[in-house]
Amino acid sequence: MADLAITPVRQFKIPVTAECISPDFVAGKSLRETELTQVWEGNRKVKLGSLFKVAGEIGRTPNDCAIKIAGNVSAVRRIGYEMSGGSIQINGEAGMYLGERMKAGTITVTGNAGSWLGTQMRGGQIDVKGNAGDSIGGSVRGGTKGMRGGTITIHGDCGTEAGAWMQNGMIRVRGACDLYAGIHMKNGTIVVERGCQGRVGAQMTGGKVIVLGNAGGVLPSFQFEEIRERAKAGDEKIPGPFYVFSGDVNEGGKGQLFARVSDNPDLKLNERYLER
Amino acid sequence: MPKATLQDVLCTFCASGCDNLEITYDGRIIDSARNGCAISVSRFTTSDKSRLLKPLVRKAGKLRPTTFARAVDRAARILNNAKYPLLYGWSQTSCEAISKGIELTELVGGLIDNTTTSCHGPTILGVQDAGEATSTLGEIRHSADLVIYWGCNPVHSHPRHTNRFTVFSKGRFRKTRKDRKLIVVDVRQTDTAKLADRFIQVQPNGDYELLTALRTAINGEQIEQETIAGVPVETVEEIADMMMECEFGALFFGLGLTMTAGKHRNTEAALALVKDLNFVTKFVIVPMRGWFNVAGANEVSTWQTGYPYAVDLSQGYPRFNPGDTSAIDAITRGEVDAALVVASDPVSHFPREAVKHLLKIPIIVLEPKRTPTSEAAEVVIPSAILGVEAAGTIYRIDGVALEAKKVIDPPIGVRPDVETLDTIIRRVKKLGARR
Amino acid sequence: MPELLIRNGYVFDPLNGIEGEGMDVAVKDGKIVERVGRKARVLDASGMTVMPGGVDIHSHIAGSKANCARMMRPEDHSRDPEVKTKYARSGVGHTIPSVFTTGYRYARMGYTTVFEPATPPLTTRHTHEELNDIPIIDKGCFPLFGNNWFVMEYVKQGRIEELAAYVAWMLEATKGYAIKIVNPGGIEAWRWGRNLRHLDDTVPNFDVTPREIVKALCQVNKLLDLPHAVHIHPNGLSEPGNYQTTLDTMECARDFRREGRPAMHVTHVQFTGRKGWSWADVRSGAPEIADYVNTHDHVTIDPGQLIFTNVTWMTADGPAMFALFKLAKTKWFNADVESETGAGIVSATYKKSNYVNAMQWGIALELALLVKDPWKIYLTTDHPNGGPFTSYPRVISWLVSNHARQKLIDKINKTAKRRLNLPGIDREYSLYEIATITRAATAKSLGLECKGHLGLGADADIAIYDIDPTKLDPAREYRIVRRAFAHAAYTLKEGRIVVKKGEVVRSVRGRTFWTKPKVSEDIKKTMMADLQSKFDDYYTVRMANYPIEERYLTASQAITTNAGV
Repeated sequence: MADLAITPVRQFKIPVTAECISPDFVAGKSLRETELTQVWEGNRKVKLGSLFKVAGEIGRTPNDCAIKIAGNVSAVRRIGYEMSGGSIQINGEAGMYLGERMKAGTITVTGNAGSWLGTQMRGGQIDVKGNAGDSIGGSVRGGTKGMRGGTITIHGDCGTEAGAWMQNGMIRVRGACDLYAGIHMKNGTIVVERGCQGRVGAQMTGGKVIVLGNAGGVLPSFQFEEIRERAKAGDEKIPGPFYVFSGDVNEGGKGQLFARVSDNPDLKLNERYLER
Repeated sequence: MPKATLQDVLCTFCASGCDNLEITYDGRIIDSARNGCAISVSRFTTSDKSRLLKPLVRKAGKLRPTTFARAVDRAARILNNAKYPLLYGWSQTSCEAISKGIELTELVGGLIDNTTTSCHGPTILGVQDAGEATSTLGEIRHSADLVIYWGCNPVHSHPRHTNRFTVFSKGRFRKTRKDRKLIVVDVRQTDTAKLADRFIQVQPNGDYELLTALRTAINGEQIEQETIAGVPVETVEEIADMMMECEFGALFFGLGLTMTAGKHRNTEAALALVKDLNFVTKFVIVPMRGWFNVAGANEVSTWQTGYPYAVDLSQGYPRFNPGDTSAIDAITRGEVDAALVVASDPVSHFPREAVKHLLKIPIIVLEPKRTPTSEAAEVVIPSAILGVEAAGTIYRIDGVALEAKKVIDPPIGVRPDVETLDTIIRRVKKLGARR
Repeated sequence: MPELLIRNGYVFDPLNGIEGEGMDVAVKDGKIVERVGRKARVLDASGMTVMPGGVDIHSHIAGSKANCARMMRPEDHSRDPEVKTKYARSGVGHTIPSVFTTGYRYARMGYTTVFEPATPPLTTRHTHEELNDIPIIDKGCFPLFGNNWFVMEYVKQGRIEELAAYVAWMLEATKGYAIKIVNPGGIEAWRWGRNLRHLDDTVPNFDVTPREIVKALCQVNKLLDLPHAVHIHPNGLSEPGNYQTTLDTMECARDFRREGRPAMHVTHVQFTGRKGWSWADVRSGAPEIADYVNTHDHVTIDPGQLIFTNVTWMTADGPAMFALFKLAKTKWFNADVESETGAGIVSATYKKSNYVNAMQWGIALELALLVKDPWKIYLTTDHPNGGPFTSYPRVISWLVSNHARQKLIDKINKTAKRRLNLPGIDREYSLYEIATITRAATAKSLGLECKGHLGLGADADIAIYDIDPTKLDPAREYRIVRRAFAHAAYTLKEGRIVVKKGEVVRSVRGRTFWTKPKVSEDIKKTMMADLQSKFDDYYTVRMANYPIEERYLTASQAITTNAGV
């Protein structure tokens, strides 16, 4: 693996758009070519080298590239855009649209990540140690196709609409989710370990959302099915027991919402439906 | 000077588009404004109060009078030097001015956003996911036998709404109040709610659940909860029945949906509810737009850039993503380094964090009256009031375009925004716009 | 304006019978002239094809439904942005481009005149605001009349003269060009969630039938001597089998033919040219419709060619859109317009593997190939309903090359391939015929005497394509044809070069054409009294504020006619 260190020279305020910070772009280029690549800083086109110190080695193919970014790049958009291999490691805060349309490879962030992380992701892994913003693994505005492969893991909390329009793949949030986790979901799995604000699985047509911690209630468009001992998430079997709901009936949905019994006493009333 | 009267004048305050006002004036003094609501009277007869009359430029910490040319020059330089300027406001000026605003934004490579961003932006986002079944207001007057006001209070915000378009209006097929039923949904009993046949009190931030429950009932599915957002399930089913049994229903909604928890998902749910109802009966939905040309700002922005608000032109082509390219968010993150504000007062209306950042950057203000934003500006250029002192096109709540008239002359030296912006554009080009 | 000589090109000018002749074209002051002086600038068109600029008779490019579609579909735009250049403003495509992009993309294909075919009168001010902003092309719009309350009441009362006076007033008030009818009576029925299927169904509350509405408006068109025929989108669009309604609609216009000019133009016939009882077994109604067009002179058509891609359905036919939305299950937008008409928008994707889509694709081509006279059929995709207008070069390649068609036929749904007549049709259009259906015939149909040809006095709207007709075999080299029509070597607008090698090099302002029929003062007075007495009851705007002033149009071009009332 060739390690390429891309270090911001200062804290950026004006938004920077740098799709070129991606194994696919740098692979096979020289350090000099990389430095001379034009990026946007607001409405100015500037050389990457004027905003970042570029040092180290660049691999010949994307898979040989390991990009390491040390510092706060929360104002930098589109890092890792469409990458198909290799790795990006951000030791600091990451910006919006990280890993959009990613096909393969890995991205890790030690700090927090912005919104629209892994939009329309197709494969690969994204791992965020801190929190993430809204709409992770989601779709573009007005579109109906969210992520369809790969895994996103958030160790902290995430914002609203995690996995919006998700087509497949896995999202794991070790912290809590704000409203609308799994909204418009079609397939795939979302696991949330420390509860949701509410409205989980709104308008979903398929897939499953597994909530440990309080789910924040269940929408009136969901119907109680049963209690299950375990919930399957990929190869893992998460121990419950879980209340299982299906919905969203207003979309003719066959999605599933799993809410762990011990964390959701507010859903206990549903047990009356067990006698049916 | 003899008194003159102008008929069929459009009022430019809220977006109801009342165009039957009769204005009597004497030179620059407006004596009376008849046929409109009380707000329109004030709009016309107090137009001269608190006016900005001279261009101002900040020198040594104080705003001092200057010439128009100098103010334009300073504005042009501020915009040209900026790396991420924001051009904001637009909802109280003409479409012609907005068109210039977009041209200027493209020229200087910035962000253009309008007040939709903090009011009905969520409605547009909802439409982008759910679509919309709507109509012009006359259709509702003629045909609606069921009217619903959800999260809005037209008695105060759009005083003539019920008289011109809904329960008190005279339509071809519905002639009196008796021919219509009114349902009001709100978190408390407003003055509009007092007119209702049924008032439904919904828990604050519970609209999404209530809308979902109504959809569930209308789609013939079982609701498995006893109360939804504080509303008993029996009531939900009753309202659902009323909606399904009407011949033509109309749902109006406002900030009660767009600005409470869920925002664009609330509006999406309302839009989806009306879509579901169209499988059973005829139903339309209309957002209660506030400012008289916020709809026009969306229209012009959409036909010229493809997007209705929060448009980023900094990279030479239009990009749209509220949350990223929206004014309040960009300012709060400290990304914006200069602002041009037209007919708006963000210092008063934006969240505190955003105002904190806004006050750190140079602001250019085009505005008829003194506001906290104009007080904080680097450059102030006084505007003629649209529909009183300047003519121009505006779009009503339902997207019907109307022409605002010029009734009297503006104060000497005060120009319509379209002229000021055109001059700034020419100055920017002359100084050598970077793009 | 300087003089210009286009030298040595192969000129195709069907209105003047010029078929690929090597000749020069002289331009002065924005018009075609006999000759120019020695100091004239010379544009070398050697080895290239010279045609009049394209004239598009039906393309939904402007107005409130186009803008609602744009607003509703950001995902359509984000994949197709246009970066600002030195000469061109930025914008977005794809199926519903923003206004600047619309003008530039038409000009890049050598088109110089485009008509927006359906605008609700009440919101036509908006349409003109957008048309004003579309660069380069000349334009116009067709106001909708087929569900208008005043129209239906006059028809019910049999007061044709007053109806004519009303239409005349409306054309001037809206600065509109021609009478457009969409689903006559059906959109009024949609007020109550219903629709009309047949010409003799009754419009609820108005007690008239579509047949009566259509016939009356055809009569009015003749009385007012309007430059274009009545432009109609028939009832029944969302029915699986609807071709008979189309034929019956065409019959309505039979008595209203004018001297050498058709009475009716039926648009996007592919959408109303199906046979059958259910979606599973639709067949092509193209042979019957083509046969009718071939044997009658009072009607012309355009196919509304379907393209296998993502599209946006956008039409005044609100009820049809809802019916199709129920099948497509995507996003749906609807906007009814008081006392006048409606609009519906749905996003959709046409797939080769889908039986109905494949049939519709085939029906459109069958219409184009079975109608014998290219003066009776015009190239459209009913943009954006069949496909984006940027697909025209692709459609041209299918018309000039049987091989190109057959290649695609092999990829479509197999049942459709079996049931279509298309595989057995080997007719190929010549470049001359292409010039006819994309410019000469459309200009003639619109009654635009200064467009669509390169005769003396014509507007110098010229397209030069990189095709050498003496060396090229369009049937074999259809890819070259397609590329050439997609990127004009030169496009000239009133003698100024606006496009060079497929790129915009200059932006100019186009004119808006509208008609102003002059009726007698007496009949106008009677009609105005009717209008004034009812206007406030029907509308929520004041009558004084309804008409659009001529100064609203950036560059107005009125066409006056003398009405027979």
